[in-house]
This record gives sequence, C-alpha cells and structure tokens, in this order.
Amino acid sequence: MISLNVNGKQHQIDADPNMPLLWAIRDILGLTGTKYGCGAAQCGACTVHMNGEAVRSCVTKLNRAAGQQIVTIEGLSANNNHPLQLAWNELNVPQCGYCQSGQLMSAAVLLRENLNPTDQDIDDAMSGNICRCGTYQRIRAAIHKAAHIQQEAAKI
Amino acid sequence: MEPKEISRRNFIRVSGLASAALCLGVYFPASAKEEVIVSKAAADARGIEMNAWLQIDTDGKVTITDHRAEMGQGSFQSVPQIVAEELEVDLKDVNVIFAQGNPKKYGSQITGGSSTIRGSYKQLLHLSATARTVLIMAAANKWAVPVSECYAESGNVIHKPSGKKFHYGELVVDASKLEAPKEIQLKKISEYKLIRKPLNRRDTPIKTNGEAIFGLDKRLPGMLYAVVERNPRMRGTLKSFDSTAALKVPGVKKVFKVQMKVYDTTRDGVVIVATSTWAAMQGRKALHVVWDDSGFEHVNTIDIVKRQEELLKTSEGISFKTQGDPDGVLKQSSNTIDVIYQTPYQAHSAMEPLNCIAHYQPDKIEVWGPIQAPDWIQGNLSDEFKIPKENVVVNMTFLGGGFGRKAFLDYPYEATLISKEIGAPVQVVWSREDDTTQGPFRPGIAYRCQGAIANGEISAIKFRVAGQNLDHWQGGKRDKPNSSTDEGFVKPYFNSIKNISFSDINFELPIPPMWWRSVYASTHGFGYESFMNEMAALAGKDQLDFRREYLKDERCQKLIDRMEEVSGWKSRKKNEGYGVAITECFNTTVGQIVKVSRHTDGKVKIDQVWAVMDCGWYVNPDIIRAQVEGSVLMALGAATIHEITFKDGLPEQRNFYNYLMPRMSDMPPVEVHIMENTADAGGVGEPGLPPFSPALTDAIYDLTGNRIRKLPFDMNKV
Amino acid sequence: MSAPLSSIATTKRVVLFTMVSFITVIIMQSFKTETSLKNDDTKPVKDSIGSVKAFMSVYKVLMSPRCMNCHPSGEAPLQGDDSHIHTMNIKRGTDGKGMYAARCSNCHQNENTAGLHMPPGNPKWGLPPAKMKMVFQGRTPHQLALQILDPKQNGGRTKAQLIDHMANDELVGWGWHPGDGRTLPPMSRSAFVAQVKLWIAKGAYAPSAN
Repeated sequence: MISLNVNGKQHQIDADPNMPLLWAIRDILGLTGTKYGCGAAQCGACTVHMNGEAVRSCVTKLNRAAGQQIVTIEGLSANNNHPLQLAWNELNVPQCGYCQSGQLMSAAVLLRENLNPTDQDIDDAMSGNICRCGTYQRIRAAIHKAAHIQQEAAKI
Repeated sequence: MEPKEISRRNFIRVSGLASAALCLGVYFPASAKEEVIVSKAAADARGIEMNAWLQIDTDGKVTITDHRAEMGQGSFQSVPQIVAEELEVDLKDVNVIFAQGNPKKYGSQITGGSSTIRGSYKQLLHLSATARTVLIMAAANKWAVPVSECYAESGNVIHKPSGKKFHYGELVVDASKLEAPKEIQLKKISEYKLIRKPLNRRDTPIKTNGEAIFGLDKRLPGMLYAVVERNPRMRGTLKSFDSTAALKVPGVKKVFKVQMKVYDTTRDGVVIVATSTWAAMQGRKALHVVWDDSGFEHVNTIDIVKRQEELLKTSEGISFKTQGDPDGVLKQSSNTIDVIYQTPYQAHSAMEPLNCIAHYQPDKIEVWGPIQAPDWIQGNLSDEFKIPKENVVVNMTFLGGGFGRKAFLDYPYEATLISKEIGAPVQVVWSREDDTTQGPFRPGIAYRCQGAIANGEISAIKFRVAGQNLDHWQGGKRDKPNSSTDEGFVKPYFNSIKNISFSDINFELPIPPMWWRSVYASTHGFGYESFMNEMAALAGKDQLDFRREYLKDERCQKLIDRMEEVSGWKSRKKNEGYGVAITECFNTTVGQIVKVSRHTDGKVKIDQVWAVMDCGWYVNPDIIRAQVEGSVLMALGAATIHEITFKDGLPEQRNFYNYLMPRMSDMPPVEVHIMENTADAGGVGEPGLPPFSPALTDAIYDLTGNRIRKLPFDMNKV
Repeated sequence: MSAPLSSIATTKRVVLFTMVSFITVIIMQSFKTETSLKNDDTKPVKDSIGSVKAFMSVYKVLMSPRCMNCHPSGEAPLQGDDSHIHTMNIKRGTDGKGMYAARCSNCHQNENTAGLHMPPGNPKWGLPPAKMKMVFQGRTPHQLALQILDPKQNGGRTKAQLIDHMANDELVGWGWHPGDGRTLPPMSRSAFVAQVKLWIAKGAYAPSAN
C-alpha cells in the first residue's frame, strides 16, 4: 500500500511503486484534470505540485511521491479563484484547454516565488509547458494580470 | 459542406400539438433541397427525426445543442452567442450540450473546413428568431393585444404600453401550438447586443479547474483500458506475436490482433487490454511482435524530395486551371524566374493524443471521444458493423486539439473492434509516440513556380504542384487534378493576371496523407505567396503595393489599406525586415505582415506579427483573435521547428523530444485586426495559418537578401 | 527545507563519504604495484610533459557531453550527444537547480528514467551555481586546467578534494551511468581518476596556451 496525500486528502492505494504519479491520480484517484501529453517530461500537461514544486507527474514514480504533499489542478484553489484562474478567465486564455491545467500549475510556482515576474521570468518558468493551440501570448498577459490581482489583494 | 439556404419560409411550421416545452429544430428532409424548421411536437406527429437544437422548458430554461465539436475554436461559446442574440435571452441562462452524431438531424457536423459558424449561422439565426416570434405571438394572444405592441427581452415578452410581462417559460405551451409566420424578421447588425461582442468563453471556467471532460477523461462503469502496438510501417502486416510475458503483467487481461482500417488500407496491431492505462502500457513493453514489411515501398524523405523535384522538372501534370497562354508568354520573355518551393510532412500533434471509448453491444454501438466528425463516424460504424444508424451513438467530448486528425474514422473503428472482441466498454489510448508516428500526415508538397515580368507588370505565371492528393484516398480519379490545387490563392488575382495556369502532377506514395489545419492552403500559401513576393522583387515593386495592384477587389483593397495602416508600413526603418502575404481559404482572406530584425546575439528574431482577417459576418472577435494567434504559432512551428521525415519507411520523429514544438519563449507578439463588413461568414479557425510562413520568409529576405524556399528552416541560421 | 531533514542528509553524506573513503583506500592499496601510482603523493616527481599528457586525457572526458552538458558557457544546460542547448528554455538559476516551474528535479528524478530520450536522473542533478559556474564549454585545455586548479573557480577545492570529487562525487559518477541512448565518456571512471591523479602528481601542469 502506498500512502498518497493529494489536495490535502490522504489516500492508501494499492499500486506498483514504479507507476508514475500521473496514472495513479487519473486512473486510481479519478482526478482527471491532470493530463497525459507525452509521458516523457516534455510537454508539462501533467504538472502537479509536490511539496510546492511543479513536478511532471508522468515521470514521477509513486515511490517518490509517497508521503509528499501533492496538489493537482483540482486543489489549486477552493473556488476557481486563484489569481491565475481569475486572470485566465478574464483574458480567455484557453482554447482547447487540454494543456491549461499544467500551465496553471507551473504559473502558480512562478507567481509564488516572484510577485512581479517580467516577460523574461515568464519565458524562463513557462517554456516547459507546450500549448499547441498557441495561447502563449495570453498566458503571458494573464500571468502579468494575476500578479496585479495578487498585489491588489495584498493591499487590502 | 456548404449550408443550404433556408429559402422557403412556408416550410417553417410550429405544430399545434401540446408539448411541455417549446422545442425547435431544423429538419433535413432526405428528398427536399431545403431544411425545415419544425417543433418537436410537429416532428413527432409527422414521424420526422429532428434535432432538438433549441429547447425552452416551462421553467424558462433554454438548452442549446452544440452540433459541432469544441476543440478550442469556440463553438461552445459562439453557437449560444448566436442563439441568445435572436432568441433574446441572457447568455447566462442558456445551457449548452453537445450533440450526438446524426447528420439526419443536424446536417453536416464535421468540424473541419472552418465550418462551425459559416456552415450553420443562418439556420441558427432563423431558428432562434422563429422561437422569439412565436413566443411574442403567444404573449400577444394571452393579453389580446397586437403583436406590434410586444417585444422580447432577457427571456421575457413585454407589453410595451402596460409594462406587463411573461417569462418564456409561461409561454412555451401556448407557443408550441402556434404556427410561425412565414417571414421572420432578423436583427440588423447594428442591433446586435451579443453577436460581434468579445464575450468571455463559457468553457473557460471548467478549463481552469480541471473539470472539463476531454476524451481521455471520460470514464464508464466497467470500462477497461487498452493500448495497441501497431506496425510502425503503414501497410506492413502482422506475422506473429508472443503475449506470454505481456499477460503476466498485473492488470493485463487480454492480448489479441486488431486490424484498423485507414482509408482503403489497413494497419495491423496487437492490442493489450488491461485494468488501467499504465498496466496496458507495461503489457505492451513486454509484448514481442514480428512484422512482415515486405511487398511495399519503404519511403525515404530524401527520395520523396528528389522525386518531387524530378517530376516538377519533367512533367506538365494535369491542368487544373489555365487562363491565357502562360507557356507562350514565358517562352518569349527575358525577365523570368523559375524556382522550386518545398514543404515538409507534418504530424498533427494535438496535445490530447488520439483516444476513443467504444462500447459494442450486439444491437448497439456507443462511442465517446475527442471527435471532430461524429456524423461521419456514425455512418462508418453502422456500415462496418452492420448496425442500423439509429443504434450507433457517437458522443463528442471536449477535444484537446484536433487540427484535422480527429476528423477521421480509424481510431473509433479500432476501439469498436476491440470492444466487440472483449464484450466490454474500453478506452483505447494512443501514446504520444503512437500519435506522432502513425499518421496519416500532412503531405509535404513541392511547387515549381515560373513567372515573367514585362514593363514592371506580371505577364505570366505558371504553377505546378507535386504532392500527395487526398482525393485519391477518398475514391477520386487519378486523371483528375487535385480539387484543391489553388487553395490558398487569393481569387481576385485571377481577374488581373491574364496569363496564369495551375497544374497538378500525380505523386503517389504508399503512406496515406491527411488534412491538417488549413489543409492544402497550409503549404500552397507558402509556395504561391512567396512567389508573388519574388515577382514583386523582380518587378522592383513594394510587396504591399504589388498586392494592391493585383487584388483589385474592394474587400482586398480595404484589407491592404488596413495592413498598411496597422503595421506602419510606410514608416518602416532600415535594419528591419518586413514581409507580406495574403491568402484565402474557407471563404476568408487574411493578410499578414511580419517584422524581423537582427538582435544583439546575432540572431534574427520576429519582433511583431500583424494579421488582418476579412471573414465577413462574424460572432466573437476575441475568439477570432485567439484563433489567429494560434494559427500563427502553429505555422511558426511548421515553418521553423518541426517536420516529419521518413527513413526506411519509418517516421523518424517520435515525441516532443525530436518533434519539437514552439514554446513560450518562441511566441512572437501577434496583433489581430478584423475587417467590418456584412458579407457572408467565412471560416476563422484555419485561414490565419497559411500567410504566416511566406510573410516570415519575405521579412527575412527583406532583412538579409536571402530567399528561403524550403521549409522548415532554422531561425538561428538566417 | 527543515532542519531535521538537512541534518539527516548530512549524516547520510558523512556515512557515504566514510564508506567511499574506506573503499578508496582499499582500492589504492591494491593498486600500489601499478607504476602510475608508485610515486609517493607527498614527494611528487614533477614531469610537465607527463602531467600535460595526463591532463589531455582528463580534458577529453570533461569535454565529453556527459560532463560538459552541465558545465555550459551560457545560462542554459546542454542536451544530448550533440550538446545542443536544452530545449524548454531551461536556465541555471541561482543555485544551479533551475528556476521557478523549471527546476531540474521537476523532471530529473533520483535515478535515470528508463527509455530513449527520457530524463536522466541523479539526486544531485543540476548545474554549478550562478556564483561558481565552472564553465567547461569553449575552454581550451590551458584555460580549463588553470580554472580547475583555481579554488576561486573550482568550488574552493584543494587538489586532494578535486581528486576526491572526480573519484567519488555521485553526480560526476552519473556520467558513467548515463541511461539509455547516451554515449559514455571516452574512458572508464577509474581510468579517468587515474589520469587526474597522474596529472596532479606530476605537478598539475596546464597545457600551454598555444
């Protein structure tokens, strides 16, 4: 039995410790917001937070994830109201939407570590996440917007 | 796929039978030329199968069925935006559901050819306006006042003089008994409150919190998972396989041969069915398969390119269109160019790899998946499995991208075969490697472009095309030219270029080709518009002025004016390269200007892309802007970053580590402008793609003097 | 990182180091008869030609993709046998472990992920930190030799610590276990370490600048 803590909830799962976290999240826990895109840590669609870092769950085995704090897109905020989610909605970022869970999870790490990221910071943080629809320009704008939302919220 | 006009108003009927809801749809009679708007009650009474395109319940709830796929292009927002406008309801009160595949109900549902809006908007407008009209009539009857004193707003009918109001739910029972008037008054564009407004997409919230269900996310009770080891060479067959080790993998249930149909050929595979995706993938690793790859050509990219070049030099091809006498003029001209343009094979690489759930039962098939062509799949599964169409249910989920690959029959067919064999619902998952390597691919096409300039004017142009023809894979005759030979070429050119010809040279390979975003325009645009830039240079003219001279049509002139204005064309500076291209496909014309410069690190970078789209009547300008931004990025990838190459019959690229994708740091700023006019609606999802690569290479020529004629090229080396 | 965790890590490292040192001593004793190691470490016989020759072997290893790819001249790591710039616009960051959502360990596990083109892995995966970049890429043998010997540029290492780093560092050792599809450095690790020792024992001469 492997002990997994996902979105603050403890799970005991009976699975191969070599199974990537991605498949445990999707097929066993039924949290399908985390996506399979490449299985090779190339596209970032499977990005989740592990102890706050934006790990690629498709290459992170259960034996590494066991006992760690995992957060998926479903746990990014209580009410779809993380500053990034607000900005994503305001600027109509997603097209097909498939990569956006991963984009948001990556952006969340950037925004936590850098309250006012520059375009260069965004390039440096976000280039591990592929979007085939080409929403990059809007992701960039939405991260700037989210930084602004976050700063405004901090003033209150 | 062109929509049929609703020409005979008297076909619109609303039945007098009682109904719990007002339920309107369009009926496509098999024999009639026009479709008919009918109510559910009338349809039931006449035994007609209709779509429930629009339904209003007694509590006033409006439900719209989205008959097209949502693969990012925005049908989930733009279809309700149209309906809510004419129906006079608030968008927030409108519920949207995906249709199941059924062409008898919805007409063509294929999300391809940029058809979502242009293929359906007239029906949707009429349908919604009809519903509004009968609701107003019902209210007027109840109040015993003239219809002219009543109007509709926000889901209510209001009696103007008295201020009395009924909400739609209170009127639907009466309305469903009424006969609709023959003439329905549609709103003027100036009256639109929703259409042409950049409203937020309704599918965004569920795409930011993980709730949206894509094909790969769909789950059914008792569902198993499967992956298929398919022959990596199309047309190869299965000699033998050993499943002993695979069957020992925990979770693996069954391993057997499966043969997928791809056009009129087949791809052999061995399927591993298991209790989870991961277990199936592990089983696949343990599988031993021996293929028979004899009896067909193993293609090599190097040979494809050589053969195309050879054909272009030696063959005239089959004439597609000839105007005047370009051959005669070319022979007598001294100021000519004769060049070859080349484009590569491409995979679609939607972020959601192909997948499909099928549940085969003896008298019924149901499939779920990221599906662009539900109606087509319904017909195909019905034919293949000998089950009546009405018992074949094709459900669309959200699509994680499609780009044409998900408008195909192979993957649902294969999933259904597997489900039939195991007697359970099964989700067949393609790995990224499967998705990248197994095609069908966009064909790489080569162009021979000849032209002559006399007295600064085009005196002749001759285009020859050598590339795989999709028509041939769909029953098209070999003695006919490709039906899309001039796709991408702006039609008004034909009015001003006296001597011009297009011909198509048969070029056959054993591997099947496939449509890809903007289909043939995606490569033709590069050949034809790059060549127009070469002609402009030969004539010693400014590329934009040159277009103005040859595209006399009023809409084109306005488009060019706009391009000039937004890009600051006249104030461009030294050490900046500016490139131009204008292409037309799916009834929409797009002009792009790309600006490049050499940066301090010595590399040429794209500083700005301006796109101007003339798509006629449109719904949501923000969705259009997003589509064009995305089209530019997809074109950038295909022009500068990735290609599929073959060696010994095998595609050499497998995943994003060698089929590289443009990333955040590669995205140039893109500014999109939409022309305002009342012309018929054109497509918006694809036409933004073709002009990018010719505009980019033209900008590089403008900066460096180096004309790039082969894609892809390395931006780091220009 | 909390205090108990890092102290556990330190303890582990000490244990590992002790074990490795012990093993090294045993190995060295078993090599005592080898000519190349006959020289007494305390009284080296200076031999500039022999030293430079040994360094050139060392250089070949350091400039092989397995070593150089993480000692790039720019801010981005390199990838593959052709040492192309790491895709995804990956950057060193302050600590050499990447930046923001692109931290090395987000993809690179404690061990190699199986399969061609899959992320290689090691618990210490990363580049040298920003303040001590230890660039190999583009360095001539002369430059690299001087740089490696300079404590201000080599992470403050003495010659003995350099040898220990080459011989025992876990991440250096990854170079000889690089996972599927990656070529090995041009000689074994033991041969490499022998050459490092020889280079230093014979006087740690740098090849000439020309």
